Amino acid sequence: MQWPWKRAETDLEREMRHHLESLAEGFERQGLDPAEAMRRARKEFGGVGRFKEQCRDESRWQPLSQLGRDVTFGIRMMRRAPVVTAAAILSLALGIGATTAILSLVDAVLWRTLALPQPEQLTEILWQSKGRPEGVYHGSSGSAFQEGPLFVADFFSRAAFDAMRNQAAGRADIAAHLGRDDVSASYAGVTSAAQLRPVSGNFFQMLEVTPLAGRLLGPPDDAAAAPLAIVVSHRFWESALRGERDAVGRPLRVNGRSYTITGVLPAGFAGIVTGESAGLYTTIEQSPAVLDPTSWFHTAPANAVVWYLQLLARRAPGVSNEALQAALDPMFRSTWTAQPKDPETAPAIRLQDASGGLGSLRRQFGNPLSMLFALVGLVLLVACANIAILLLSRADARRKEVALRVSLGCSGARLIRQFFTESALLAACGGVLSLGVAYATANFAVTLMSGDLRLDFAIDVRMIAATLAVTAFTALVFGLYPAWRASRVDAAPALKEGSGSVGGTRNTWVSPAKMLVLAQVALGVLLVAAAAAFTAHLRKIVTAETGFERTRLLMFDLRPGQSGYTGPRLRQFYFDLEQRLRDVPGVVAVGLARVRPMKGGGYSDMLNLPGRSKRINTAVNFVTADYLRALGVRIVAGRGLSAQDVLTGAAVAVVSEDVAREIGGSPLGLSFTMEGKPYEIVGVAARARYSRLTEQPNVIYVPNSLSRDTFTALLRTSVPPMQALGGVRRALSEMDKYLPIVDAVTMEEQIANTLRRERLFAWLCGSFGVLALLLCMIGLYGVMSSVAARRRQEIGIRMALGATRNAVVRQVVGEGMAMAAFGLLIGAPAAYYAATKYVDYKKLGMAPLDPAIIGWAIAALGLSALLAVLGPALRAASTDPMKALRQG
Amino acid sequence: MEGKKTDLLQGTLDLLILKTLTPGALHGYGIAQRILLTSRETLDVQQGSLYPALHRLERKGLIDSEWKESGNGRLAKFYSLTRAGRKQLAGELDQWQRYARSINWVLDSQ
Repeated sequence: MQWPWKRAETDLEREMRHHLESLAEGFERQGLDPAEAMRRARKEFGGVGRFKEQCRDESRWQPLSQLGRDVTFGIRMMRRAPVVTAAAILSLALGIGATTAILSLVDAVLWRTLALPQPEQLTEILWQSKGRPEGVYHGSSGSAFQEGPLFVADFFSRAAFDAMRNQAAGRADIAAHLGRDDVSASYAGVTSAAQLRPVSGNFFQMLEVTPLAGRLLGPPDDAAAAPLAIVVSHRFWESALRGERDAVGRPLRVNGRSYTITGVLPAGFAGIVTGESAGLYTTIEQSPAVLDPTSWFHTAPANAVVWYLQLLARRAPGVSNEALQAALDPMFRSTWTAQPKDPETAPAIRLQDASGGLGSLRRQFGNPLSMLFALVGLVLLVACANIAILLLSRADARRKEVALRVSLGCSGARLIRQFFTESALLAACGGVLSLGVAYATANFAVTLMSGDLRLDFAIDVRMIAATLAVTAFTALVFGLYPAWRASRVDAAPALKEGSGSVGGTRNTWVSPAKMLVLAQVALGVLLVAAAAAFTAHLRKIVTAETGFERTRLLMFDLRPGQSGYTGPRLRQFYFDLEQRLRDVPGVVAVGLARVRPMKGGGYSDMLNLPGRSKRINTAVNFVTADYLRALGVRIVAGRGLSAQDVLTGAAVAVVSEDVAREIGGSPLGLSFTMEGKPYEIVGVAARARYSRLTEQPNVIYVPNSLSRDTFTALLRTSVPPMQALGGVRRALSEMDKYLPIVDAVTMEEQIANTLRRERLFAWLCGSFGVLALLLCMIGLYGVMSSVAARRRQEIGIRMALGATRNAVVRQVVGEGMAMAAFGLLIGAPAAYYAATKYVDYKKLGMAPLDPAIIGWAIAALGLSALLAVLGPALRAASTDPMKALRQG
Repeated sequence: MEGKKTDLLQGTLDLLILKTLTPGALHGYGIAQRILLTSRETLDVQQGSLYPALHRLERKGLIDSEWKESGNGRLAKFYSLTRAGRKQLAGELDQWQRYARSINWVLDSQ
């Protein structure tokens, strides 16, 4: 097939030929021989090329054919300067890609609203008080956080929930839910681990979710006596129920109780928490935790001083948050059976927008993410500066070419179009590559955020379009500037100037490119300092003293209670298990514990020492005799717990050094009460982390009563931990082949999981820092290369006059470094100012910025700047004076 | 052959081409020859302006083109007036004559 504009071209050629031949024939008729006639004809005809060009200007296909030629020419120019081109495209790709990925992450966690009708009506009901209100409640389950002087919590008593739900009816639809619970669920003989969220019967009606199959829960299910009903998420239905349509109506065994699957949630319902992992929903009354008569939750509803329900409401249309809050406040107060000791600390209702789901993940990631977002914005700026620099310096290198084209009759408009095409080409290449970068970054970020977080995380086309627009705009503006400048340039001097005007240091000190490099270096310091600060923070946490040896520790959970073990049979199971695990080859010591170490969360309580008014806040773990030995925590005074203590359920405790210090003097032999029960302190253990690497609470260890249905086993091994797992499985299946091992991980993996926020942050910041450094180097390299190239002739003369190579290198390096130093001079104080003024280190869980880090950033940038300018300097110094002079 | 060659007045080439094409279709070389002949060898249209002008007129839809065999047996691109071209020519002729008359009056006046 022939392209229309190509055909126009050959038509033109044929037409010209015909004319030429006709002319020649005329001359032949006048008596000239054919060769001479043709020569005369050609002479008469004039320049064929110019002529074709003029005809082209009149051609109908002109715009399209010129675009084609501009693109081809653009590609040729790009291939002629591969380093510059690659650098520009890479800058674009990295800048756009990283921004897009972070934007998508921010969107998934912070911005996206729940896929429910009118999500803006949803509001989370919390309460806040000036300081912790002592005395209003005596037990709580839920989450609380400190916000400046305010104590904010999300738990309410059953009485408060009932009062608010009934009295606010019409103004708001209020539903309750509890935290997720780990359960084991068996369907058609296959058991799997799952998470269950207990909710009130009106929960799904309030959210306005329509089931995919069957029916969802309703108020009639709000009774323990009603047939046990369970609703499954779409994900659970697809995996554990194998997507069977007739699963609805069938039984699902959860922790040994048989529930009827009444409905399947739609695929679009991803829960009420960002990253929700709950697969099962029952009513609160029918949830395994509440049904269990020994559980704390069992008696909670009847007790107005036990606050344990989390509330979510949908405001009626036309009801404002303020009005609802004012209405709920007196209802809430009316249900208190006791007043706070300090009336100042009385709780008040606080409503929090829940259109994007409940806020815990936002609280955890929100601040770091908005910070990352700001950083990535700066990276994008640096990348844009880079593109501008590269385009400017390339345009500089092409001054002669442009001047030549102008003098040959190329119009200004034509030139601008050419440059425009080249810039657009660059932007397009960068845009395509950036997709890959965005996906890679996003996937990487999600793996860093692993754990039980299920983020529905998609690269959004809108985001790519937005970032692409920013960079493309830069590319176009800075691509056009040189064309505009060139179109106004007088061609003659530019041509005469040659490759470098002798002594002509025009634009050497204040060129736009140099200003950009300055700005870039200034931003670079900020980014590199941020990167250094966060990686240093991570390093500090990771290398923090845990108080125990982290390698060769294996942990897993067992849930014998869910397999029907109770009472004495359960106790016997534990004793047998401990014995059998100890016999597994490679296992050195075995401990059982109620709280899994380093998992986050845990259990804390108050110790009352007789005769002292001050109570001691401490974390508690209920363990077996060998637990401390398995974990590797030394006993520094007294004795550890013995097998006898566990067997008899002795009221003894081992306290950590911190508790001992807080008590003062030797604590051995002292006794305290906890939850009204007296304990005697028999030993002091060395300091060891409890549930987080980032904090060291007080800890006490008391004998495990071995009556709870789930627990964690901790194994110290002499072989790599996962190698011991096979033996553990065999030993366990000999005892009960239906008992699944849950969450088997090594201690190192467990710690890594708890650090996901810090790790994500440090990795991303670190990459941004490296990226910024790289971009700055590219920018400096680009500018100095073009400066050196423009001054080749001058350098040639200097060398001809006796300047040594060293002097030339020193001169170019000096100029480049002066530029970088100036940037650092502006950037470092700005970075320090920003870091001290705009970053909330407390919210990020960090220590305030160490000024030394800025010093490191300056050093890193300085070194990279030196590396970047060394190349152009050496190239300038290797100039052959004779060649350089002749070329001018 | 000795006639003095005159430079074309700007803007008149289009008019000349349109006029030359009135009797029938001609190729580029033919148009140049015809203008040379009818101007008694005083107007030698340069190819450099002829072809761009032809392409311009074609784009404006005033003339049409067609590849046909020319007298010497070779293929040539023949241009012919379109309806719009004829109308344009009539208008321009009228304008030109009025213009030329005006100029003459000025130049002939004492």
